[in-house]
Amino acid sequence: MRMTRFSRINTIWKKELIDTLRDRRTVVAMVLVPMVLYPAMMLGSIGAFELQVSYLVTEEYTVAVPDPDTRQWLRHVIDSDPARRIDDNGTAEEIVERAATQPAEGTESSEQPEPERDGASVAKRGVRERPPPYRIVVVGEHVVEAVTGGAANVGLVLRGPPPRVGSENSSQIGVAFDESDIRSEIAASGLEGVLARYAERILLQRLAEREIDPSFVAPLQIESRNVASAERMTGSVLGRIVPLILIVMTITGAIYPAIDLTAGERERGTLETLMVAPVATSELVFGKFIVITLIGLLSALLNLVSIGGTIWLGGVGSMLAQGQQMVFPLGALPWVFLLLVPLAVLFSAVLLAVCSFARSFKEAQNYIAPVMMAALIPGVVGILPGTQLKGPILIMPVANIVVLTRELFLGKFDFGAIAIVAMSTSLYAGAAIAIATKLFGQEAVLFADSGSIRTLFQRKFFKPRPAPSCAVALLVLALVYTLNFYVQNSLGSAGIVPGVGYLGAIALTLAILMGLGPYLTTLYLRASPLETFRLRAPTWAGWAAAVCFGLSTWVLIRAWFTYQETWLPFDPRIKAQLEAQLGWISSLHPATLVFFLALVPAFCEELFFRGFVLSGVRTALNRTWSVIIVALAFGLSHYMIQRLPATALLGAIMALLVVQYRSIYPAILAHFLHNALTTLSTHPEGLLPVLRGIGFDAAAEGYPPTGWLIAAAALSLVGLSLCLLAPKAADRGSDSRQAGAEGSDDLVPVQ
Amino acid sequence: MIRVEGLTKVFPTPEGVEKTAVRDLSFAVEPGEIYGLLGPNGAGKTTSLRMISGLLRPTAGRVYIGGVDVTDDPERVKRSIGYLTANTGLYERLSPLEFLRYFATLYSMQRDEAEAKIAGLIEWLGMESFAAMRCGALSTGQKQRTNIARALLADPPVLIMDEPTLGLDVLSNRLILELIRTQARAGKAILLSTHALDEIETMCQRIGLIHDGTLIAEGSLDALRTETGKQRLSEIFLQLTNAHDPVLAD
Repeated sequence: MRMTRFSRINTIWKKELIDTLRDRRTVVAMVLVPMVLYPAMMLGSIGAFELQVSYLVTEEYTVAVPDPDTRQWLRHVIDSDPARRIDDNGTAEEIVERAATQPAEGTESSEQPEPERDGASVAKRGVRERPPPYRIVVVGEHVVEAVTGGAANVGLVLRGPPPRVGSENSSQIGVAFDESDIRSEIAASGLEGVLARYAERILLQRLAEREIDPSFVAPLQIESRNVASAERMTGSVLGRIVPLILIVMTITGAIYPAIDLTAGERERGTLETLMVAPVATSELVFGKFIVITLIGLLSALLNLVSIGGTIWLGGVGSMLAQGQQMVFPLGALPWVFLLLVPLAVLFSAVLLAVCSFARSFKEAQNYIAPVMMAALIPGVVGILPGTQLKGPILIMPVANIVVLTRELFLGKFDFGAIAIVAMSTSLYAGAAIAIATKLFGQEAVLFADSGSIRTLFQRKFFKPRPAPSCAVALLVLALVYTLNFYVQNSLGSAGIVPGVGYLGAIALTLAILMGLGPYLTTLYLRASPLETFRLRAPTWAGWAAAVCFGLSTWVLIRAWFTYQETWLPFDPRIKAQLEAQLGWISSLHPATLVFFLALVPAFCEELFFRGFVLSGVRTALNRTWSVIIVALAFGLSHYMIQRLPATALLGAIMALLVVQYRSIYPAILAHFLHNALTTLSTHPEGLLPVLRGIGFDAAAEGYPPTGWLIAAAALSLVGLSLCLLAPKAADRGSDSRQAGAEGSDDLVPVQ
Repeated sequence: MIRVEGLTKVFPTPEGVEKTAVRDLSFAVEPGEIYGLLGPNGAGKTTSLRMISGLLRPTAGRVYIGGVDVTDDPERVKRSIGYLTANTGLYERLSPLEFLRYFATLYSMQRDEAEAKIAGLIEWLGMESFAAMRCGALSTGQKQRTNIARALLADPPVLIMDEPTLGLDVLSNRLILELIRTQARAGKAILLSTHALDEIETMCQRIGLIHDGTLIAEGSLDALRTETGKQRLSEIFLQLTNAHDPVLAD
């Protein structure tokens, strides 16, 4: 009895997991470092921090003054300071505790201040509230020199007579300090606190003498109140820390197994042993990929648990939360862990692809550094304050997960965003896995004496083939998906106003990304454009099926959206944007709209999705899976969860037309008719008056008339029947999977 | 059992020049026969064996194992081949027992059948003392015995061996040669590539001499003696390779 593909993958990943977990280096990196080293480092840092602060707040500082009178006056001011008198010297622990848990002066607003984690900042705040001991020295006119020379920490110069209760004068006091010297800063801060309290005492005495209520000089009492719950505050703190930990730890955990299971295995000579077993390369890669992902996930989780425990038990939590109670947002946890999966999948796939390229452990290590940088840069973009999960960030790998994790901790659950982030990340991961599979089995990579890796990318060594490989198709899909999103998002900010120019810019983008790009890629790979884009005439049945779908799907999709609105409604803001879009679109001529919204997308999207991508995917997958993948990719490429079901269904129909009739033209026709009828049905100068005349107000919301629905469903069924009844024998002959079977590697040199 | 027809392999180089590692190689190995592939370093022996085993894709030509084309159905062909080289690695953190169980699963062997086969091989190859140790702690000879057990695990009708005795001590060497003979007597087709001329001389029914990627002579030892007029295989080897080497021929 032969094993199935899944049982072989199952066997491989289990063995790889045992093999990896038996490696002490992995265990040390995965368990020992997070569970022992990080807590020790963190607690050690806290100890050092507290030691530094306690020393700084209790140290005696020297104040330089020009003359004995000033010294006498200052001594009086310092000794009479109520803050000093309350607890005289004050213990360092009390000062640090109070400084670390109280907001900095001037930050008592609704906006939460950034926590000050360095000892200097905490010490400065501490001494302002409870001044340290001061020694006063008279230095004549050389006050500034005494500070810069290091003889004194701070200098004080009284300009004019000292302030008195009886007078109404305002005295000027100069405080000189050296900002490059932390002790000077702290001494100045403490002195400023003493002087400010002295000034306040004089003011209150003056007011009392004149029998004036203190509220006279404070007409406005501002009381700011932080209304964020403790859970939200904790989420805010965790949202700043956890996402980066997730990124770094997932990569760190996955790096070693990724290298060991690819380049390491190649170097040790076990790969050749494995390759002579009756196992497909894709199965090997997938088994290894599962292990790398698991180790990455496990490593990230252990790190999180360790750091979480340290924050909780080590007392870091209250410091980070600025004295507020920490309540862990438990509701976010399952979602954060769920997001960890696509993140780990993406990193593992990228690491696997990169390491598959390396022939040795050392070579793989050299490739890892750029991967780390590439992951951290978008990660840092994601944690920047104010970064929101919209626009380009929504599909930016890594950054989108960082921002989404942060929002989840704050209790914001946008399921549409979660779906887009998860699916786009999965798309990138899929492309990376496909590339890893392709690279892993390359002869030049497998055997050092079997050619050079450099020749893998030289066109002259490619052999002619019917279609690009699945790996290349998925890679180009991921690139087009990302670029298209960025370009379309930037059109608004580029100052292109809604109108023909805007539509033209979108059409040009489609033509370049989905037409020219894939065409040039096809030529570079020496694939056949005719086979790749299925540029052959269909049978009459193909045309007929296309017409049936093209005339009916717009009614069915309309009905679907009406139904979907009851359980997956559009966001009101997006709905308003779409309605505004419909407004200016209706002002354009119907022929213009048919060109830009029906003809151009029909050609470009079909050539790309049902031509390039479908042909590539078909080289590795069967007909059903190919149709499903292309349909999902098409749905995902409309960047909106509410549009995904309908567009994916349309994508599946178009893909079915192509695989059944081996021609792109029926799909283009069906796509064109669908888009044209959808556009014209709501256009006042298009079909709207005609439709209204026969009882179908397409501009109004709600289901289409029942008769229309029945007719459209019947027509679609006819189209489906024609598709399913298409002669299969004719399809097999030049199907790209069959044709590509003899040479499925487009990176394989010419033979 | 093994039929090689016009096998050719061309590797591209970064300079854009194509290097032909194997050129139009054709020969056959029958069941029960030990066929020796002989040639100097870089002659194309290993590349040929890798193509025959389905590890490399031929640029041209065909390889049939039991009538099945390697290019058309590599997975099926790999089930029929036991492949062994001198530097085939082992998983250092697995024991030979675990290693063999892993490969038995990959070869779709039933658990009972696999356990019985593994136990038989461990006994036959004298692996009892180290079967439960980690492979990383084994000696070269022990590692090679483990690899032999792996190659014979699925009882393949074809054995392809590339320098199987390289670096082994006398005892291990003798064990492996005896094993090859035993397997041949059991009806397996064996393709053996080695630098040890005495091994070829004493074991192989037929010899193929490959030089610069081309098969320059083939036949039994007697036939080669007659062709060259030399008695010893080393003399035959030198005469034939020198005759095809422009530098040495002069």
